[in-house]
Amino acid sequence: MTDVVTIPWLLSAVPIIGAMLGLVVWSQPEKLRIWSIIVTVLSLLSVIGTSGRLTVPTEGPLFLYLLPLAACISLLGQPVHRDYRLAWVMTLLFLGLGLGFLTSQHVVGQLALVVLLGLITFLLNWHHDPFWPTSWLGIGTFGLGTLCAGLAVITDPPVSSVASLAACAILMPLLPFHDGFVTALTRLPGSLPSFIVLLLPAIGLHGLAAVLPTVPDVAVSTMTILALVSAPYGSVKALAQSRVRLLLAYGSLSFFSILWWFVAASRAVTPQAAVFLGSVALATSGLLLAWQVVRTRYGNDVDPRAISGLASPMPEFAVLLSLLALAAMGLPPFGVFAGFMGLLLTSSITSSAALLVIVVAWLAASWYILDMVQRLLFGRQRSDLRYETLRPAELTSLLMVVLIVIALGIAPVSLFGIQTQPPRAGVVMESVIWNR
Amino acid sequence: MSAVILVPLLPLLAALIVLVGDEGSRHQRAKIAAYPIGAAFLGAIATLWLVATQGPITIRFYDPASLATLAFPMGFYIDRLSAVMMVLISGVGTIIYTYSIGYMYQDLHDRRYLALIGFTTSVLLCMVSSANLMMLFLFWQVLSYMLYLLAHNHAHAATLEGAFRTFTLLRVGDVAFLSGIVLAYQLYGTLEFQALFAKAAESPVTLTPLPGIEIGGATAVTLLLFIGAMSKSAQFPIHIWLPRSLYAPTPVHALLHAGIINAGGFLINRLAPLYGQSSTTLHVAFVVGMVTAVLGATMMLVQNDIKKTLGFSTIGQMGYMIMECGLGAFSLAVFHLIAHGLFKATVFLSCGNVIHKARQEPAFPHADPRAEEQEFSRLTWATGFLTTLLIPLVILLVSHGVLHIPLRDSQGTVIFLFFIWVTSSQAILTLIRLRAVASWKVSAAMLLILLFVVFIYLFAVESFTAFLYPNPEEVASYFQAAAFPNWLFDGLIVGTALVIILGWFYIYAQARGRTMWVPDWVEGFRLRLYVLFMNRLYADECYQALGRVVMRVVHRIDKRDTGWSK
Repeated sequence: MTDVVTIPWLLSAVPIIGAMLGLVVWSQPEKLRIWSIIVTVLSLLSVIGTSGRLTVPTEGPLFLYLLPLAACISLLGQPVHRDYRLAWVMTLLFLGLGLGFLTSQHVVGQLALVVLLGLITFLLNWHHDPFWPTSWLGIGTFGLGTLCAGLAVITDPPVSSVASLAACAILMPLLPFHDGFVTALTRLPGSLPSFIVLLLPAIGLHGLAAVLPTVPDVAVSTMTILALVSAPYGSVKALAQSRVRLLLAYGSLSFFSILWWFVAASRAVTPQAAVFLGSVALATSGLLLAWQVVRTRYGNDVDPRAISGLASPMPEFAVLLSLLALAAMGLPPFGVFAGFMGLLLTSSITSSAALLVIVVAWLAASWYILDMVQRLLFGRQRSDLRYETLRPAELTSLLMVVLIVIALGIAPVSLFGIQTQPPRAGVVMESVIWNR
Repeated sequence: MSAVILVPLLPLLAALIVLVGDEGSRHQRAKIAAYPIGAAFLGAIATLWLVATQGPITIRFYDPASLATLAFPMGFYIDRLSAVMMVLISGVGTIIYTYSIGYMYQDLHDRRYLALIGFTTSVLLCMVSSANLMMLFLFWQVLSYMLYLLAHNHAHAATLEGAFRTFTLLRVGDVAFLSGIVLAYQLYGTLEFQALFAKAAESPVTLTPLPGIEIGGATAVTLLLFIGAMSKSAQFPIHIWLPRSLYAPTPVHALLHAGIINAGGFLINRLAPLYGQSSTTLHVAFVVGMVTAVLGATMMLVQNDIKKTLGFSTIGQMGYMIMECGLGAFSLAVFHLIAHGLFKATVFLSCGNVIHKARQEPAFPHADPRAEEQEFSRLTWATGFLTTLLIPLVILLVSHGVLHIPLRDSQGTVIFLFFIWVTSSQAILTLIRLRAVASWKVSAAMLLILLFVVFIYLFAVESFTAFLYPNPEEVASYFQAAAFPNWLFDGLIVGTALVIILGWFYIYAQARGRTMWVPDWVEGFRLRLYVLFMNRLYADECYQALGRVVMRVVHRIDKRDTGWSK
């Protein structure tokens, strides 16, 4: 009993105290970044050290390991700059709050969520740019998320369930609650977008696992329909984008909507869902970091259409970016493919039309992601561009993402706490009656 | 037994040898890497011998009961079909790799290219020796990406566009394949080949996709998987990726046309027991194959680029192969893909020389117009007559009278014989190109070779069928599943025979200077068809238009949205 109470506090305390101690070296960005990386490693060690005594969440313990790793990778992939100091400290703070939410009891976890969403709203407001008036949509969405998370604490079901569900739809993006996620990924500075792309959906899925049993059927059905609209919507929006962060935000929206459909249709959060989510988020995180590499060299406002031919002068970058793109497109042997196949093979698919929508959304990723990568890596080299190969920290961060996503695809199943399910003999479809 | 795993691993080792190391030893390492690939070929031959004498080899690194729990289901199932394909792939891979060492010497990207050849060979070997449908699909998808990379030149815009289109079209096939896998697992609860075949046979399932429409479970699964096979084997209408990838280095084409494109034929053969349960899918395969064969061959005749000509020739041949599968002649399809693979690899590896010579010799390839106008000699006509009309009669007599094959009751045997006749007729029609050199020596040699080929073909195919499918009842059941109604089958045979005989008459009349009355509208139609086929049925333009429409819709939706991209 003591463990159940104290361990979540311990896991949260390591990064939060680390963030506070980081303020000591605030004036020295290089040291602050190194310190932040050390804290994420300590956080990972604390998770490993307490793993035997933790209450395993419904979706498995995967996120507890992935979150410190994602934070570490995000910090590693950043250039040292004074402007990013707040983002580094916030990354640690978010990590602490995220771990707290994943491991704590209901009320404490919900309070951690309220703080987290409030902080993101504050940061988005802080970084609001008058040239991007639509960021108000995102700020508003996160404001609504904070309100919903608060309501979930103070009200009883079914109001609290619906409020939690809405908060989950903001965290793990789903049309029409996706603006917050898109805004956060495109407007937050430094290491934050590549970290919260995992943090927010992971929290959303965890919250969903807790709230699903109490949600009214109507709400679940609505979510299923929204997911089926949201998946192609994300793909269409991604296809139309030329800006990389927007493309990745909408692409991940499409993939998370696919996950929403599986979860809502089966009313269960399985470890396969966690593997899928973790892999999609990490692959997107890796692509965001890869784009950060380009921005570090050619400026924050660089137009991706102006960059081409990186493959020859930056071969390591080209290989890693290609592998990340393969992962994000859902090709084997990466975790996205493994998770997707796991979801397809273990779920009872109730509608062939829905399956078609899902599979087409999955297919569309091959179009927009490959197009983006091809434009960056191939084509003519520009004589007016200075090409510079990857720095060790950048190389390490991208390599780590690739290795983790591969590991998620091929690692032994027992690592994710997945139980073997006996194969089903047959199913009944909505419009397709399958008779023996 | 477990040493057979080395066969797919050795080309991977070769790829690593090429990739890892300093710049100074690059060429040396490229040469050293040829040995592991050659060793893989020897290993494949040994595996074939082992499998032929001791039966299939099964190695699994997973628990078949937990296939759906994300473990990478790595395992090998090597039967005679797999072993034959392994020999073909590793053999062609060895030749192409060795050729490429010289061909790509001092090229800036030779290291990437040679490593990709090794890696692709390894992927192909893993694919054909997969223990289950999931593993096959894994390598199937990796192969799609390998094709994208191989058909690639970083700095050439047209190549990039072609490679992108190749990958996108192949992914369409991959999605259908994926849907087929999911449906198979939902219906039968397994993706292990033997268990899948057994469950599909013992418990037939009927689906009702729309009210009043019923479809068998095996039909639905095989149709979806067939779309996957169509994409890899460049079947109409998803064939356009093949001609568009022609900017790649010539050895890549040799590998593509001799190995990768056979994946569709292999998939259908691998799942032959499942396809054998669905007459509908086999008939669809027959129609798709026939359309592709006719269109591919016709387009080949009017192309003005040697690589495009060969590309469409391959499309036609793949159509032929799929058509054979649709007729239930699975072993014939494998025989065909092996023969075609070896032939096309040779042609592609030597087409560089032809182009080189054409550049050095101003009169080449344009022959002397006077020689073009020369008539056929009597010998040529006699040879043609003997080959296309007498030899089939001899074969019919031999098969019916001596071998006692019941031709009236066996569509399969008729198919074999008919293919022999069509092939030999096709060969003899090429005499039109030999008119200037048609001496009695050429004619005699041609006749003898054709006789030799025809009989060898007949016995080789029979032996090969017995080797791949030792159970004659199984072969008969495939033919039975693919059987058409008698009136349709007879109509097809008679129709094709008439086309060949009329073609013969047409050539004869043309060569003799006889005028044949043709209605004006037919002549006009012929010209329009010529332009249509020369432009490859405007399939590229249609796909481009479709792409533009999709993107227009996408941008319209994007503009209507008040979200972030405004």
